[in-house]
Amino acid sequence: MIQTLDSAKVLICVGSGGVGKTTLAAALGFLAAKRGRRVLVLTIDPSQRLKTTLNLSDSGDISVLQHADLRGKLSAAVIDPKKTFDEFVARAANKDDLVKKIANNKLYQQLSTTLSGSQEFTALEKLYSCYESGEYDLIILDTPPTKHAIDFLQAPQKLSTIFNEGVAKWFRHSEGSGSFLSNIVHAGTKQVLRVLESMTGSEFMRELSEFFQSIQSWQAKLEERINSVHRLLVNPSTHFCLVTSFDQAKLKEAAYFGREIRKGGYSLTSVVINRALPSWLLETPTGFSAGAATPVAQKFNEMKNYYQARDQFYQTFAQGLIAEMKNKDFVFRIPEFDRDISNIKDVAELAHLIESNESL
Amino acid sequence: MEINFVTGKGGVGKSAVAAALALKRARAGFRTILVELGDQSYFRDYFSLPSVGYQAQTLEISGVKFDLAQWSGQECLKEYILHIVKVESLYRLFFENAVTKALVNVAPALSELSILGKITSGPPRNVGPKMPYDVIVVDAYASGHFMALMNAPTGLATAIRFGSMGEQVRSIGKVLHDANLCKFFVVALPEELPVVEGLELAGNIKKVTGQSSKVLLNRLLPFSQELNADLTAHAEPALKNFSNYLQELEARQKSMQERILNSGHEAQSLPWILSSDAKEIIERLSRELQA
Repeated sequence: MIQTLDSAKVLICVGSGGVGKTTLAAALGFLAAKRGRRVLVLTIDPSQRLKTTLNLSDSGDISVLQHADLRGKLSAAVIDPKKTFDEFVARAANKDDLVKKIANNKLYQQLSTTLSGSQEFTALEKLYSCYESGEYDLIILDTPPTKHAIDFLQAPQKLSTIFNEGVAKWFRHSEGSGSFLSNIVHAGTKQVLRVLESMTGSEFMRELSEFFQSIQSWQAKLEERINSVHRLLVNPSTHFCLVTSFDQAKLKEAAYFGREIRKGGYSLTSVVINRALPSWLLETPTGFSAGAATPVAQKFNEMKNYYQARDQFYQTFAQGLIAEMKNKDFVFRIPEFDRDISNIKDVAELAHLIESNESL
Repeated sequence: MEINFVTGKGGVGKSAVAAALALKRARAGFRTILVELGDQSYFRDYFSLPSVGYQAQTLEISGVKFDLAQWSGQECLKEYILHIVKVESLYRLFFENAVTKALVNVAPALSELSILGKITSGPPRNVGPKMPYDVIVVDAYASGHFMALMNAPTGLATAIRFGSMGEQVRSIGKVLHDANLCKFFVVALPEELPVVEGLELAGNIKKVTGQSSKVLLNRLLPFSQELNADLTAHAEPALKNFSNYLQELEARQKSMQERILNSGHEAQSLPWILSSDAKEIIERLSRELQA
């Protein structure tokens, strides 16, 4: 991990929701900045408390964090998906009246806020523009929560399918007079669109056609951007850190995701098993078993057994993962914190845990 | 027909609670289906099943049977389109062309609406193939995605006002607003983030559907009087770290319970089941769930 933090230019933290990705991204950023690098941590939709912890503003401005241990510089910012997307379109479309027309289109409004792929695209767009600026040695991206971690990597490709020239062309034929459908020559296409119209109404079809006409001016730029982002993601200086938690289903999902990341040609160089065993258990001497029959001793034995059963499962999983990663230094775990992480001091402590907890 | 939506922040045990709720309803004699959303199954790994798919399969926990299925937007939409166009060849043509593929792929409102359409396809809407169930328990998406699901009918209603889809959109919205049909459960853990996010979520559900949610505070370690007395007396010096952990845990649990109580939402606490056997956890959780 330390090696990654010292050499990577981009570090992308991926994993499913609720595994502590954002906090971990902050701690990794802290550690890299402590070691002297200029670091930017980018996050989407953090909790209010984490915003306070990292001194983040809602406006998306970059804030600089202060701590005595930091030899480098630690900055952090929240990505505002709608703002980032609007800015991208405004730059790409490059004509005021067109920008206005796009912004008023109901489908665009859906696209920039809720369409799948747009949030992931904006995260990557922000990452790319910060990377291009050359102001940082390392940018850490905390990816948006997806139900399944793999969704994140597939999102830009999904988004580009809608901007596919072939698809957009169908709708552009409708320019000119007459009803939308009367201008379409191809019989099969006409039939398909007729079904769509019978389901959604002619108003929707007009919006759809208008939408495809208006994206003409910026779709080439979007595709170009998606391509450059992809090149950045497969660049060897871009590392992926897979975060998972100590939960059977999450661990299995992580193993699957790990394979997918490597299949895609990305450099997965670390797997963090977060909130593994609680610190009280790790601090208790191995082999210690409470003999007394007091309620505390009973509870201790009960919980110790519970965690040990989980640990056994974890060991089986970890061996498989280590074999797949081909290097045991790539997989490491972080004990469960016994309190919520709520300020920069806690982040510093978590960073210290990572530093001292190198590999299994 | 009764539809239960179970949501909450990621990692709080939504799926286990949803399964326990399904088991409880099935034990009471209702024909029940547990439905998970999305493209990959959680329950396949959780119950070590060979696969979980669109076709329902029967799951048995301590002698009680209920169905389990996983519904993706794509499949729900297919079923709906087939129901509308009726002609298989036209349906093929419709589905296997680039425009539809691109739209379905990218427009989550469409995929989410299809899922909601399927969930609410029973009475009173009666759309599509009949489902032989009295109770549906939906192991739904986590917070943000769940709200995207709830917002889909409203969002799409502004873009699609006419046609058969416009009608569908409105009638789905109506079902979500009906307290006799839909119930909402927000699961949280006794930790700051899940509780804050859970309460915010319950507030958003109220805003969009007008419905109150029941907040389920999951994984609380029970503290007996004897245990507390023992802790206060520092009876086990060798277990100092553990005792400190327990005391901090109890304080945190109490403060989170209070926070939920003060929020005014209907709430229930669920115990932390110290077992690693999936079916045992579900069985014991189902006995704890009230109402």
